[in-house]
Amino acid sequence: MFKYMKYEVRGTYRYILGVLSLVLILTTALYIYFNRVTNTSSEMSALEGIFIGLSVLILFGTALATFLYIVGSFRKELYEDTGYLTFTLPLTGNQIVGSKLVVALIWFIFLGVVIGLYNLIMMLIFVPVEVNFSELFSALFEIVNIKQILFSVLLIILSIVNILVIIYFSMTISRVTFRNKRIGGLWFILFLVLSGLIIYGGVKISEIFPYYIDINTFKIGTMDTLDKLYMEINDDIVLSADMDILTTNIASTVYMIIVTVLLFLGTGYLVEKKIDL
Amino acid sequence: MKNIVEIKGLTKKYLNKTALNNINLNIEEGKVVGILGPNGSGKTTLIKILAGLLRQTSGEVLIDGKNIGVDTKSIVSYLPDRNFLYKWMKIEDAMNLYKDFYYDFDEKKFNDILSFMKLEKNMKIDSLSKGMHEKLNLSLILARNAKLYILDEPIAGVDSVARDQILDAIINNYNEKSSMLITTHLVRDMESMLDEVVFLKEGNIILTGNAEALREERGMQIDDIYKEVFGE
Repeated sequence: MFKYMKYEVRGTYRYILGVLSLVLILTTALYIYFNRVTNTSSEMSALEGIFIGLSVLILFGTALATFLYIVGSFRKELYEDTGYLTFTLPLTGNQIVGSKLVVALIWFIFLGVVIGLYNLIMMLIFVPVEVNFSELFSALFEIVNIKQILFSVLLIILSIVNILVIIYFSMTISRVTFRNKRIGGLWFILFLVLSGLIIYGGVKISEIFPYYIDINTFKIGTMDTLDKLYMEINDDIVLSADMDILTTNIASTVYMIIVTVLLFLGTGYLVEKKIDL
Repeated sequence: MKNIVEIKGLTKKYLNKTALNNINLNIEEGKVVGILGPNGSGKTTLIKILAGLLRQTSGEVLIDGKNIGVDTKSIVSYLPDRNFLYKWMKIEDAMNLYKDFYYDFDEKKFNDILSFMKLEKNMKIDSLSKGMHEKLNLSLILARNAKLYILDEPIAGVDSVARDQILDAIINNYNEKSSMLITTHLVRDMESMLDEVVFLKEGNIILTGNAEALREERGMQIDDIYKEVFGE
Protein backbone atom coordinates (compact mmCIF):
# COMPACT_ATOMS: atom_id res chain seq x y z
CA MET A 1 0.00 0.00 0.00
CA PHE A 2 2.85 2.40 0.86
CA LYS A 3 4.37 1.73 -2.55
CA TYR A 4 1.17 2.77 -4.24
CA MET A 5 0.88 5.83 -2.00
CA LYS A 6 4.36 6.82 -3.15
CA TYR A 7 3.17 6.92 -6.77
CA GLU A 8 -0.03 8.73 -5.77
CA VAL A 9 2.03 11.43 -4.09
CA ARG A 10 4.39 11.67 -7.06
CA GLY A 11 1.45 11.95 -9.44
CA THR A 12 -0.22 14.77 -7.53
CA TYR A 13 2.49 16.81 -5.82
CA ARG A 14 3.13 19.15 -8.75
CA TYR A 15 -0.49 20.26 -8.79
CA ILE A 16 -0.66 20.63 -5.01
CA LEU A 17 2.56 22.66 -4.89
CA GLY A 18 1.24 24.79 -7.77
CA VAL A 19 -1.96 25.52 -5.86
CA LEU A 20 0.02 26.21 -2.71
CA SER A 21 2.36 28.64 -4.52
CA LEU A 22 -0.62 30.49 -5.96
CA VAL A 23 -2.28 30.74 -2.56
CA LEU A 24 0.87 31.98 -0.87
CA ILE A 25 1.43 34.59 -3.59
CA LEU A 26 -2.18 35.79 -3.35
CA THR A 27 -2.04 35.84 0.44
CA THR A 28 1.20 37.84 0.42
CA ALA A 29 -0.21 40.28 -2.13
CA LEU A 30 -3.32 40.67 0.00
CA TYR A 31 -1.33 41.40 3.14
CA ILE A 32 0.94 43.88 1.35
CA TYR A 33 -1.98 45.66 -0.30
CA PHE A 34 -4.05 45.97 2.85
CA ASN A 35 -1.05 47.00 4.87
CA ARG A 36 -0.50 49.92 2.47
CA VAL A 37 -4.17 50.86 2.35
CA THR A 38 -4.69 50.73 6.12
CA ASN A 39 -1.70 53.05 6.59
CA THR A 40 -3.43 55.71 4.51
CA SER A 41 -7.08 55.11 5.31
CA SER A 42 -9.18 55.67 8.40
CA GLU A 43 -11.99 53.29 7.38
CA MET A 44 -10.49 50.32 9.10
CA SER A 45 -13.52 48.19 9.84
CA ALA A 46 -14.78 48.11 6.23
CA LEU A 47 -11.32 47.26 4.95
CA GLU A 48 -10.91 44.53 7.52
CA GLY A 49 -14.19 43.07 6.33
CA ILE A 50 -13.02 43.05 2.72
CA PHE A 51 -9.67 41.57 3.78
CA ILE A 52 -11.30 38.75 5.68
CA GLY A 53 -13.74 38.18 2.82
CA LEU A 54 -10.94 37.88 0.26
CA SER A 55 -8.90 35.62 2.54
CA VAL A 56 -11.87 33.32 2.99
CA LEU A 57 -12.42 33.33 -0.77
CA ILE A 58 -8.79 32.28 -1.37
CA LEU A 59 -9.02 29.52 1.22
CA PHE A 60 -12.33 28.31 -0.16
CA GLY A 61 -10.91 28.35 -3.71
CA THR A 62 -7.87 26.37 -2.57
CA ALA A 63 -9.96 23.78 -0.78
CA LEU A 64 -12.30 23.42 -3.76
CA ALA A 65 -9.50 23.21 -6.36
CA THR A 66 -7.66 20.58 -4.29
CA PHE A 67 -10.83 18.65 -3.63
CA LEU A 68 -11.83 18.58 -7.30
CA TYR A 69 -8.34 17.51 -8.34
CA ILE A 70 -8.21 14.69 -5.80
CA VAL A 71 -11.70 13.52 -6.71
CA GLY A 72 -10.75 13.76 -10.41
CA SER A 73 -7.70 11.57 -9.83
CA PHE A 74 -9.96 8.75 -8.62
CA ARG A 75 -12.36 9.30 -11.51
CA LYS A 76 -9.45 9.03 -13.96
CA GLU A 77 -8.69 5.53 -12.72
CA LEU A 78 -12.26 4.50 -13.40
CA TYR A 79 -12.71 6.08 -16.82
CA GLU A 80 -9.27 6.57 -18.38
CA ASP A 81 -6.52 4.29 -19.64
CA THR A 82 -4.40 4.49 -16.47
CA GLY A 83 -7.01 2.20 -14.88
CA TYR A 84 -5.46 -0.56 -17.00
CA LEU A 85 -2.29 -0.13 -14.96
CA THR A 86 -3.80 0.53 -11.54
CA PHE A 87 -6.33 -2.28 -11.60
CA THR A 88 -3.88 -4.89 -12.87
CA LEU A 89 -1.37 -4.20 -10.08
CA PRO A 90 -1.35 -6.97 -7.47
CA LEU A 91 -3.22 -4.84 -4.93
CA THR A 92 -6.55 -5.37 -3.23
CA GLY A 93 -9.39 -2.90 -3.77
CA ASN A 94 -9.02 -1.71 -0.17
CA GLN A 95 -5.32 -1.02 -0.71
CA ILE A 96 -6.02 1.08 -3.81
CA VAL A 97 -8.89 3.07 -2.25
CA GLY A 98 -7.07 3.33 1.09
CA SER A 99 -3.93 4.73 -0.57
CA LYS A 100 -5.92 7.36 -2.43
CA LEU A 101 -7.75 8.30 0.75
CA VAL A 102 -4.63 8.60 2.88
CA VAL A 103 -2.79 10.67 0.25
CA ALA A 104 -5.81 12.98 -0.13
CA LEU A 105 -5.89 13.44 3.64
CA ILE A 106 -2.15 14.11 3.77
CA TRP A 107 -2.54 16.84 1.13
CA PHE A 108 -5.44 18.50 2.95
CA ILE A 109 -3.54 18.50 6.25
CA PHE A 110 -0.35 19.70 4.54
CA LEU A 111 -2.17 22.56 2.80
CA GLY A 112 -4.04 23.49 5.99
CA VAL A 113 -0.91 23.56 8.14
CA VAL A 114 1.27 25.44 5.62
CA ILE A 115 -1.40 28.04 4.81
CA GLY A 116 -2.19 28.48 8.52
CA LEU A 117 1.46 28.95 9.46
CA TYR A 118 2.05 31.27 6.53
CA ASN A 119 -0.86 33.47 7.61
CA LEU A 120 0.58 33.57 11.13
CA ILE A 121 3.95 34.71 9.75
CA MET A 122 2.27 37.32 7.55
CA MET A 123 0.35 38.62 10.55
CA LEU A 124 3.53 38.89 12.57
CA ILE A 125 5.17 40.84 9.76
CA PHE A 126 2.32 43.12 8.74
CA VAL A 127 0.11 43.59 11.80
CA PRO A 128 1.69 46.48 13.75
CA VAL A 129 1.41 44.88 17.17
CA GLU A 130 4.20 43.51 19.33
CA VAL A 131 3.45 39.84 19.78
CA ASN A 132 4.70 37.93 22.78
CA PHE A 133 4.36 34.27 21.85
CA SER A 134 4.26 32.89 25.38
CA GLU A 135 1.52 35.34 26.28
CA LEU A 136 -0.30 34.65 23.04
CA PHE A 137 -0.28 30.88 23.56
CA SER A 138 -1.15 31.05 27.25
CA ALA A 139 -4.06 33.35 26.34
CA LEU A 140 -5.02 30.97 23.56
CA PHE A 141 -4.99 27.95 25.85
CA GLU A 142 -7.13 29.76 28.37
CA ILE A 143 -9.83 30.03 25.75
CA VAL A 144 -9.40 26.67 24.06
CA ASN A 145 -7.75 23.69 25.67
CA ILE A 146 -5.71 21.01 23.92
CA LYS A 147 -8.48 18.40 24.15
CA GLN A 148 -10.80 20.75 22.34
CA ILE A 149 -8.26 21.32 19.56
CA LEU A 150 -7.55 17.59 19.17
CA PHE A 151 -11.23 16.84 19.15
CA SER A 152 -11.91 19.48 16.51
CA VAL A 153 -9.03 18.18 14.36
CA LEU A 154 -10.34 14.62 14.67
CA LEU A 155 -13.82 15.76 13.69
CA ILE A 156 -12.46 17.62 10.65
CA ILE A 157 -10.44 14.54 9.60
CA LEU A 158 -13.49 12.31 10.05
CA SER A 159 -15.59 14.72 7.98
CA ILE A 160 -13.04 14.86 5.12
CA VAL A 161 -12.66 11.06 5.11
CA ASN A 162 -16.43 10.66 5.24
CA ILE A 163 -17.04 13.00 2.28
CA LEU A 164 -14.21 11.45 0.22
CA VAL A 165 -15.44 7.92 0.90
CA ILE A 166 -19.01 8.86 -0.09
CA ILE A 167 -17.64 10.39 -3.32
CA TYR A 168 -15.44 7.36 -4.08
CA PHE A 169 -18.34 5.02 -3.40
CA SER A 170 -20.75 7.07 -5.57
CA MET A 171 -18.25 7.15 -8.45
CA THR A 172 -17.52 3.44 -8.21
CA ILE A 173 -21.13 2.36 -8.01
CA SER A 174 -21.96 4.66 -10.91
CA ARG A 175 -19.11 3.10 -12.92
CA VAL A 176 -20.18 -0.42 -12.02
CA THR A 177 -23.77 0.29 -13.02
CA PHE A 178 -23.13 2.32 -16.17
CA ARG A 179 -19.97 1.77 -18.16
CA ASN A 180 -20.73 4.75 -20.38
CA LYS A 181 -18.60 7.78 -19.58
CA ARG A 182 -21.23 10.15 -20.97
CA ILE A 183 -23.50 9.48 -18.05
CA GLY A 184 -20.57 9.57 -15.64
CA GLY A 185 -22.04 12.70 -13.98
CA LEU A 186 -24.53 10.36 -12.38
CA TRP A 187 -22.09 9.91 -9.52
CA PHE A 188 -22.79 13.44 -8.34
CA ILE A 189 -26.53 12.77 -8.03
CA LEU A 190 -25.73 9.54 -6.19
CA PHE A 191 -23.38 11.49 -3.92
CA LEU A 192 -26.08 14.05 -3.07
CA VAL A 193 -28.71 11.39 -2.40
CA LEU A 194 -26.34 9.24 -0.34
CA SER A 195 -25.08 12.22 1.68
CA GLY A 196 -28.68 13.30 2.37
CA LEU A 197 -29.63 9.82 3.53
CA ILE A 198 -26.56 9.51 5.76
CA ILE A 199 -27.14 12.92 7.38
CA TYR A 200 -30.82 12.10 7.88
CA GLY A 201 -29.83 8.79 9.50
CA GLY A 202 -27.40 10.62 11.80
CA VAL A 203 -30.05 13.10 12.91
CA LYS A 204 -32.60 10.34 13.56
CA ILE A 205 -30.08 8.32 15.55
CA SER A 206 -29.15 11.30 17.70
CA GLU A 207 -32.87 11.82 18.38
CA ILE A 208 -33.32 8.21 19.42
CA PHE A 209 -30.13 8.17 21.53
CA PRO A 210 -29.77 11.75 22.82
CA TYR A 211 -26.62 11.07 24.83
CA TYR A 212 -23.63 13.31 24.47
CA ILE A 213 -20.07 13.14 25.73
CA ASP A 214 -18.32 16.20 27.04
CA ILE A 215 -14.81 16.09 25.65
CA ASN A 216 -13.33 18.12 28.50
CA THR A 217 -14.71 16.10 31.37
CA PHE A 218 -15.65 12.84 29.55
CA LYS A 219 -19.00 13.04 31.30
CA ILE A 220 -21.96 11.51 29.52
CA GLY A 221 -25.52 12.85 29.59
CA THR A 222 -28.26 14.50 27.63
CA MET A 223 -27.72 18.02 26.33
CA ASP A 224 -29.74 19.45 29.25
CA THR A 225 -27.88 17.62 32.00
CA LEU A 226 -24.49 18.34 30.44
CA ASP A 227 -25.37 22.00 30.12
CA LYS A 228 -26.24 22.22 33.83
CA LEU A 229 -23.16 20.26 34.76
CA TYR A 230 -21.02 22.57 32.77
CA MET A 231 -22.45 25.63 34.34
CA GLU A 232 -21.88 24.18 37.79
CA ILE A 233 -18.29 23.22 37.12
CA ASN A 234 -17.15 26.26 35.29
CA ASP A 235 -19.61 28.85 36.43
CA ASP A 236 -18.75 30.60 33.20
CA ILE A 237 -21.41 31.64 30.76
CA VAL A 238 -18.92 32.12 27.86
CA LEU A 239 -17.67 28.57 27.99
CA SER A 240 -21.14 27.12 28.19
CA ALA A 241 -21.86 28.89 24.90
CA ASP A 242 -19.19 26.68 23.33
CA MET A 243 -21.06 23.53 24.24
CA ASP A 244 -21.59 22.41 20.66
CA ILE A 245 -17.87 22.33 19.98
CA LEU A 246 -17.05 20.49 23.15
CA THR A 247 -19.74 17.85 23.06
CA THR A 248 -20.71 15.25 20.54
CA ASN A 249 -23.61 12.88 20.22
CA ILE A 250 -22.15 9.45 20.91
CA ALA A 251 -24.56 7.40 18.81
CA SER A 252 -24.38 9.60 15.70
CA THR A 253 -20.56 9.74 15.87
CA VAL A 254 -20.36 5.94 16.13
CA TYR A 255 -22.92 5.71 13.29
CA MET A 256 -20.84 8.07 11.13
CA ILE A 257 -17.67 6.04 11.76
CA ILE A 258 -19.47 2.77 10.95
CA VAL A 259 -20.98 4.24 7.76
CA THR A 260 -17.57 5.53 6.67
CA VAL A 261 -15.92 2.14 7.28
CA LEU A 262 -18.72 0.28 5.48
CA LEU A 263 -18.60 2.62 2.47
CA PHE A 264 -14.81 2.28 2.35
CA LEU A 265 -15.03 -1.53 2.41
CA GLY A 266 -17.86 -1.39 -0.15
CA THR A 267 -15.78 0.75 -2.50
CA GLY A 268 -12.79 -1.56 -2.08
CA TYR A 269 -14.98 -4.57 -2.84
CA LEU A 270 -16.51 -2.98 -5.94
CA VAL A 271 -13.09 -1.88 -7.22
CA GLU A 272 -11.65 -5.35 -6.74
CA LYS A 273 -14.58 -7.55 -7.74
CA LYS A 274 -17.08 -5.64 -9.85
CA ILE A 275 -15.45 -2.98 -12.01
CA ASP A 276 -15.50 -3.65 -15.74
CA LEU A 277 -12.99 -1.58 -17.69
CA MET B 1 1.74 -30.95 -19.23
CA LYS B 2 0.07 -28.66 -16.67
CA ASN B 3 -2.49 -26.12 -17.79
CA ILE B 4 -1.64 -22.52 -16.88
CA VAL B 5 -5.10 -21.33 -17.97
CA GLU B 6 -8.32 -23.29 -17.55
CA ILE B 7 -11.56 -21.81 -18.86
CA LYS B 8 -14.86 -23.64 -18.45
CA GLY B 9 -18.22 -22.41 -19.77
CA LEU B 10 -17.11 -18.77 -19.86
CA THR B 11 -19.85 -16.38 -20.86
CA LYS B 12 -19.70 -12.59 -20.82
CA LYS B 13 -22.81 -10.61 -21.57
CA TYR B 14 -23.26 -6.89 -21.81
CA LEU B 15 -26.75 -5.41 -21.69
CA ASN B 16 -27.97 -6.63 -25.07
CA LYS B 17 -24.88 -8.32 -26.43
CA THR B 18 -23.11 -11.60 -25.75
CA ALA B 19 -19.39 -10.93 -26.07
CA LEU B 20 -18.29 -14.47 -25.14
CA ASN B 21 -20.56 -17.47 -25.39
CA ASN B 22 -19.79 -20.56 -23.30
CA ILE B 23 -16.06 -20.67 -24.03
CA ASN B 24 -14.03 -23.72 -23.02
CA LEU B 25 -10.28 -23.44 -23.38
CA ASN B 26 -7.14 -24.81 -21.73
CA ILE B 27 -3.68 -23.37 -22.30
CA GLU B 28 -0.68 -25.50 -21.46
CA GLU B 29 2.47 -24.21 -19.80
CA GLY B 30 5.16 -23.16 -22.24
CA LYS B 31 2.85 -22.59 -25.20
CA VAL B 32 2.40 -19.48 -27.33
CA VAL B 33 -1.25 -19.23 -28.22
CA GLY B 34 -2.74 -16.87 -30.77
CA ILE B 35 -6.30 -15.69 -30.21
CA LEU B 36 -7.33 -14.77 -33.71
CA GLY B 37 -10.39 -12.98 -34.93
CA PRO B 38 -11.66 -9.77 -36.47
CA ASN B 39 -12.62 -6.69 -34.44
CA GLY B 40 -15.56 -7.38 -32.16
CA SER B 41 -15.00 -11.13 -32.04
CA GLY B 42 -14.43 -11.14 -28.24
CA LYS B 43 -10.60 -11.36 -28.18
CA THR B 44 -10.08 -8.35 -25.96
CA THR B 45 -12.98 -9.31 -23.71
CA LEU B 46 -11.41 -12.72 -23.16
CA ILE B 47 -8.01 -11.39 -22.19
CA LYS B 48 -9.41 -8.58 -20.09
CA ILE B 49 -11.16 -11.25 -18.03
CA LEU B 50 -7.84 -13.07 -17.68
CA ALA B 51 -6.10 -9.83 -16.68
CA GLY B 52 -8.73 -9.10 -14.01
CA LEU B 53 -10.22 -6.03 -15.70
CA LEU B 54 -13.57 -7.61 -16.58
CA ARG B 55 -15.79 -10.04 -14.66
CA GLN B 56 -17.41 -13.00 -16.35
CA THR B 57 -21.18 -13.30 -16.35
CA SER B 58 -20.84 -17.05 -15.78
CA GLY B 59 -18.30 -19.85 -16.02
CA GLU B 60 -14.98 -20.56 -14.37
CA VAL B 61 -11.60 -19.03 -15.17
CA LEU B 62 -8.45 -20.24 -13.43
CA ILE B 63 -4.86 -19.14 -13.87
CA ASP B 64 -2.29 -21.44 -12.29
CA GLY B 65 -5.21 -23.07 -10.47
CA LYS B 66 -6.40 -19.82 -8.88
CA ASN B 67 -9.44 -17.64 -9.44
CA ILE B 68 -8.66 -14.26 -10.99
CA GLY B 69 -7.53 -11.83 -8.29
CA VAL B 70 -4.50 -10.32 -6.60
CA ASP B 71 -2.56 -13.61 -6.74
CA THR B 72 -3.06 -14.10 -10.48
CA LYS B 73 -2.25 -10.45 -11.21
CA SER B 74 1.18 -10.99 -9.68
CA ILE B 75 2.00 -13.80 -12.12
CA VAL B 76 0.39 -12.35 -15.26
CA SER B 77 2.23 -9.80 -17.38
CA TYR B 78 -0.40 -7.96 -19.36
CA LEU B 79 0.06 -5.64 -22.33
CA PRO B 80 -3.14 -3.68 -22.99
CA ASP B 81 -3.94 -2.21 -26.39
CA ARG B 82 -3.56 1.34 -25.06
CA ASN B 83 -1.17 3.71 -23.29
CA PHE B 84 -1.77 2.74 -19.71
CA LEU B 85 1.18 4.43 -17.97
CA TYR B 86 0.71 7.57 -15.87
CA LYS B 87 1.35 10.70 -17.95
CA TRP B 88 3.59 12.35 -15.34
CA MET B 89 6.14 9.55 -15.56
CA LYS B 90 9.48 9.26 -17.26
CA ILE B 91 10.50 5.83 -18.52
CA GLU B 92 12.64 5.39 -15.41
CA ASP B 93 9.61 5.99 -13.17
CA ALA B 94 7.67 3.33 -15.05
CA MET B 95 10.56 0.92 -14.55
CA ASN B 96 10.65 1.68 -10.82
CA LEU B 97 6.92 1.11 -10.55
CA TYR B 98 7.27 -2.33 -12.13
CA LYS B 99 10.23 -3.07 -9.85
CA ASP B 100 8.20 -2.04 -6.81
CA PHE B 101 5.12 -4.10 -7.61
CA TYR B 102 6.35 -7.19 -9.43
CA TYR B 103 8.87 -9.42 -7.71
CA ASP B 104 9.63 -11.06 -11.07
CA PHE B 105 10.75 -7.83 -12.77
CA ASP B 106 14.29 -8.11 -14.14
CA GLU B 107 15.92 -4.68 -14.37
CA LYS B 108 18.87 -5.88 -16.42
CA LYS B 109 16.57 -7.50 -18.92
CA PHE B 110 14.57 -4.27 -19.08
CA ASN B 111 17.69 -2.22 -19.77
CA ASP B 112 18.69 -4.62 -22.56
CA ILE B 113 15.27 -4.52 -24.21
CA LEU B 114 15.12 -0.76 -23.82
CA SER B 115 18.42 -0.22 -25.60
CA PHE B 116 17.34 -2.71 -28.29
CA MET B 117 14.21 -0.57 -28.73
CA LYS B 118 16.40 2.56 -28.82
CA LEU B 119 14.61 4.22 -25.94
CA GLU B 120 16.19 6.32 -23.17
CA LYS B 121 15.23 6.15 -19.50
CA ASN B 122 14.95 9.93 -19.16
CA MET B 123 12.29 10.19 -21.89
CA LYS B 124 8.96 11.52 -20.72
CA ILE B 125 5.95 9.26 -21.26
CA ASP B 126 3.73 12.01 -22.65
CA SER B 127 6.29 12.90 -25.31
CA LEU B 128 6.49 9.41 -26.83
CA SER B 129 5.03 8.55 -30.24
CA LYS B 130 2.53 5.70 -30.70
CA GLY B 131 5.30 3.30 -31.79
CA MET B 132 7.57 4.32 -28.91
CA HIS B 133 4.74 3.82 -26.45
CA GLU B 134 4.14 0.34 -27.80
CA LYS B 135 7.86 -0.47 -27.54
CA LEU B 136 8.11 0.85 -23.98
CA ASN B 137 5.00 -1.01 -22.84
CA LEU B 138 6.31 -4.20 -24.36
CA SER B 139 9.75 -3.68 -22.75
CA LEU B 140 8.11 -3.45 -19.32
CA ILE B 141 5.93 -6.48 -19.92
CA LEU B 142 8.71 -8.69 -21.31
CA ALA B 143 11.18 -7.68 -18.58
CA ARG B 144 9.05 -9.61 -16.11
CA ASN B 145 9.70 -13.32 -15.67
CA ALA B 146 5.97 -13.96 -15.49
CA LYS B 147 4.20 -17.31 -15.69
CA LEU B 148 1.76 -15.94 -18.25
CA TYR B 149 2.18 -13.11 -20.73
CA ILE B 150 -0.95 -11.64 -22.26
CA LEU B 151 -0.40 -9.34 -25.22
CA ASP B 152 -3.36 -7.51 -26.72
CA GLU B 153 -2.70 -6.50 -30.33
CA PRO B 154 1.03 -5.83 -29.76
CA ILE B 155 1.71 -4.71 -33.33
CA ALA B 156 -1.50 -2.91 -34.22
CA GLY B 157 -1.11 0.64 -35.45
CA VAL B 158 2.70 0.78 -35.58
CA ASP B 159 4.90 1.23 -38.65
CA SER B 160 6.71 -1.69 -40.26
CA VAL B 161 10.11 -0.91 -38.69
CA ALA B 162 8.64 -0.73 -35.19
CA ARG B 163 6.61 -3.85 -35.96
CA ASP B 164 9.77 -5.84 -36.77
CA GLN B 165 11.50 -4.56 -33.64
CA ILE B 166 8.53 -5.53 -31.50
CA LEU B 167 8.32 -9.02 -33.01
CA ASP B 168 12.06 -9.53 -32.54
CA ALA B 169 11.80 -8.40 -28.93
CA ILE B 170 9.01 -10.87 -28.27
CA ILE B 171 10.91 -13.75 -29.86
CA ASN B 172 14.24 -12.90 -28.18
CA ASN B 173 12.86 -12.31 -24.71
CA TYR B 174 10.17 -14.90 -24.44
CA ASN B 175 10.84 -17.26 -21.58
CA GLU B 176 10.18 -20.85 -22.72
CA LYS B 177 8.94 -21.94 -19.31
CA SER B 178 6.20 -19.34 -19.52
CA SER B 179 3.06 -19.24 -21.61
CA MET B 180 2.01 -16.44 -23.90
CA LEU B 181 -1.40 -15.42 -25.12
CA ILE B 182 -1.43 -13.03 -28.07
CA THR B 183 -4.49 -11.51 -29.68
CA THR B 184 -4.12 -10.21 -33.19
CA HIS B 185 -5.85 -9.76 -36.48
CA LEU B 186 -2.48 -9.28 -38.21
CA VAL B 187 -1.98 -13.03 -38.53
CA ARG B 188 0.65 -13.07 -41.25
CA ASP B 189 3.16 -11.14 -39.13
CA MET B 190 2.72 -13.26 -36.05
CA GLU B 191 1.94 -16.77 -37.21
CA SER B 192 5.53 -18.03 -37.13
CA MET B 193 5.69 -17.67 -33.35
CA LEU B 194 2.38 -19.36 -32.54
CA ASP B 195 2.23 -22.93 -31.17
CA GLU B 196 -1.55 -23.01 -30.89
CA VAL B 197 -4.31 -20.94 -32.43
CA VAL B 198 -7.83 -20.17 -31.32
CA PHE B 199 -10.22 -18.65 -33.86
CA LEU B 200 -12.90 -16.49 -32.24
CA LYS B 201 -16.01 -15.31 -34.07
CA GLU B 202 -18.83 -13.39 -32.44
CA GLY B 203 -17.90 -14.71 -29.02
CA ASN B 204 -17.61 -18.38 -30.04
CA ILE B 205 -14.55 -20.54 -30.61
CA ILE B 206 -15.00 -21.78 -34.16
CA LEU B 207 -11.64 -23.44 -34.64
CA THR B 208 -8.75 -24.33 -32.37
CA GLY B 209 -5.68 -26.50 -32.53
CA ASN B 210 -1.95 -26.87 -32.97
CA ALA B 211 -0.73 -24.37 -35.57
CA GLU B 212 1.57 -26.85 -37.34
CA ALA B 213 -1.09 -29.57 -37.38
CA LEU B 214 -3.63 -27.14 -38.86
CA ARG B 215 -1.19 -26.09 -41.58
CA GLU B 216 -0.59 -29.74 -42.52
CA GLU B 217 -4.20 -30.72 -42.29
CA ARG B 218 -5.46 -27.84 -44.43
CA GLY B 219 -2.41 -27.42 -46.64
CA MET B 220 -2.24 -23.69 -46.09
CA GLN B 221 -0.76 -21.06 -43.78
CA ILE B 222 -2.66 -19.92 -40.69
CA ASP B 223 -3.09 -16.52 -42.36
CA ASP B 224 -4.88 -18.23 -45.28
CA ILE B 225 -7.03 -20.29 -42.91
CA TYR B 226 -7.90 -17.03 -41.16
CA LYS B 227 -8.97 -15.46 -44.44
CA GLU B 228 -10.98 -18.54 -45.34
CA VAL B 229 -12.69 -18.69 -41.93
CA PHE B 230 -13.46 -15.02 -41.66
CA GLY B 231 -14.06 -14.47 -45.38
CA GLU B 232 -11.53 -11.70 -45.87
